[in-house]
Amino acid sequence: MKQIATKSLKSSALAPPAFLFLTFLFLGMDAVAVKAAQQPNIILILADDLGFTDIAPYGSEISTPSLTALANEGIRFTNYHTAASCASSRAMLLTGVDNHRAGVSNIPEAIPPGLSAFDNYRGVLGNNVVTVATLLEDAGYHTYMAGKWHLGKERHQLPSRRGFERTVAMADTGADNWEQKPYIPIYKKANWFADGEEMELPEDFYSSRFLIDKTIEFIDSNHEDGQPFFAYVPFQAVHIPVQAPQDFIDRYMGVYDTGWERLRQDRLAKAVGLGVVGEGTEMVDMSTTQDWDALSDDRKRYESKRMAVYGGMIEAMDFHIGRLIEHLKTTGQYENTLLIFTSDNGTEVSGPTDPSRVPAQIFLRNQGYTSEYETLGLKGSFNSISPSFASASASPLAFYKFYAGEGGLRVPLIIAGQSVLNKGELNHALSHVTDITPTILSLAGVKAPDGRFGGRPIEAMIGRDLMPIIRGDVDRVYAEDETIGYEVGGNAALFRGDYKIVMNRAPVGDRLWHLYNIVSDPGETEDLADAMPERMQLMLRAYDQYVLENGVLPVPVDYKQVSQVGINGLREVYGKQMLVLLVSMLILVIFLVVARSITRR
Amino acid sequence: MINKILRVVTVLPGILFVVIGVGWIIDPASAAAGVGMPLLEGVGRSTQIGDLGSFFLTMGLLILVGVTTLERAWFYPPMMLLGLAAMFRLVAWLVHGAALAGSMIAVEIIVTALLYVATIRLCEKRSA
Repeated sequence: MKQIATKSLKSSALAPPAFLFLTFLFLGMDAVAVKAAQQPNIILILADDLGFTDIAPYGSEISTPSLTALANEGIRFTNYHTAASCASSRAMLLTGVDNHRAGVSNIPEAIPPGLSAFDNYRGVLGNNVVTVATLLEDAGYHTYMAGKWHLGKERHQLPSRRGFERTVAMADTGADNWEQKPYIPIYKKANWFADGEEMELPEDFYSSRFLIDKTIEFIDSNHEDGQPFFAYVPFQAVHIPVQAPQDFIDRYMGVYDTGWERLRQDRLAKAVGLGVVGEGTEMVDMSTTQDWDALSDDRKRYESKRMAVYGGMIEAMDFHIGRLIEHLKTTGQYENTLLIFTSDNGTEVSGPTDPSRVPAQIFLRNQGYTSEYETLGLKGSFNSISPSFASASASPLAFYKFYAGEGGLRVPLIIAGQSVLNKGELNHALSHVTDITPTILSLAGVKAPDGRFGGRPIEAMIGRDLMPIIRGDVDRVYAEDETIGYEVGGNAALFRGDYKIVMNRAPVGDRLWHLYNIVSDPGETEDLADAMPERMQLMLRAYDQYVLENGVLPVPVDYKQVSQVGINGLREVYGKQMLVLLVSMLILVIFLVVARSITRR
Repeated sequence: MINKILRVVTVLPGILFVVIGVGWIIDPASAAAGVGMPLLEGVGRSTQIGDLGSFFLTMGLLILVGVTTLERAWFYPPMMLLGLAAMFRLVAWLVHGAALAGSMIAVEIIVTALLYVATIRLCEKRSA
């Protein structure tokens, strides 16, 4: 192509000005077309609340053939960490900036009132960061998004204003998968938007199918113009309510009858067999795991079906990912497309532990849900998995969503495509959610902004380009002495080389700092704090530095994330009504006092 | 005993109207939705909040003053407001193509009747 361009330029040297202009014009267009042809399409698929061993390439019994195929054509990262809460993860994922600096120190629904006055504790993506979509759009990419956003629901905060050309976005923490309905009472409605405008979901809606249909529609809409695309597909699966089509549920009926302890062991064995974790990996006994054998037969049957729906929902997601891949193949785009698959955080445990209890029933009925065995996971049914199965889903890791244990932070990451040379391999080096944006930019040949964008200062990216690993040039992108800090909702961690210090708050954590070697002991079973006091102190000082540099604020002493979500939600939904009643009472009391004093005269 | 019950029953719509009036000041969107209308923009919103807020708050307080003082003059303005509101709703339905707000008309007529009974029973007793 260079030769052709040089020849054209030479032949036009003696041409009239109009011809010269046209030659330059065509040369310019040619250059753009060449660049576009070289730039790969990129699809970033984000599962919601998917645990570490929830897909087959990481040791799951759940059938995920599409993701297995991707793993075979790509590289699996086994030491990849994200945040333990969704919005914070998404902010880092899309910007490469620490969540505190990006304005999303926590999900907005969980921020205590005392902290919400601070700019970086608003729970919405700040204007001091720029998304990967904006940067790619500026570089000539078409940018699409279909799925959960959760980085702000005001009009100016929606993805259509953050670099995405076409969008279908659900703005909340989650929503029903079968209809346009809020799943918890903190929302008056499920807030769905199409290209920045409120939208109504179709009658035949099922989230995973709908999101892939929209993604395909967006991709097809500009297929002919030759420009590359970036598609971001943040699924609702497998966030609560856990719901799946009946035929997918049926495939897992009976699979979980042996209980959560057995499943946690089985997944560990498979993960070891696949090389995802090392031989001899130990696991802790989570305090929130109930004794399966102590359950009644009815309860075992019910819990088994809860997990069957969960398995069905994951397989349904995989099925629709497969549809997208098949579409790319039939339209000749697959060879030039790089796919990234990951999860926003570890397994969810927020649903009722026992849905048959009265408080859970009141909650479910208030939301218009049932929890009957026969219809579990179908339209109108609310399902979740209990903390016991959640620990199996995160096997062999400790803790789960919201907590800074590995079960909350460590999730699958698969990068697949032509650029990946070491196909089918596992990479055990530390990697982080902030690495995704720099990696995508590197793949697209787009330079990351250096402190300014659009005439304004922006936060610098802290993530690393993973391309050297993907190309097989290096084994790790973080040196042994480099650190990555983490804090969401008072649960905190710091990574340095193979080591991690971690502190988890109540109700499951003990509020104490622990030190683990997360390479040899990913299950966080052996606290090395006493054995390695110098390393412990060094890492604690590094965490203090992280707190100072990133504006991390302490949460209230009795702060509990899930409770705060409930309180904030009630304030959001019923706050004004409560104020109306209080003011009315005040008026009536004043009236009563005045009336009595008058009648006494 | 009956008069005591009547007094309590008469107080209830008074309190309800006070709450609705305050609602128009603090949460006009919900208050508007409660009476079947959207919250308007500009001067329309000013009129909604100003007129309807004062309408309900004043009516509620007048009923409470009436129940407290047992002087029938205090009941007449809310009776007129509610009675005329019911009548005008019918006119709106018959002449201007509005929907027939049956439940609202029923409430207005019932409360008007309740206030009338209160003027007869409570205020007569006081006079006696």
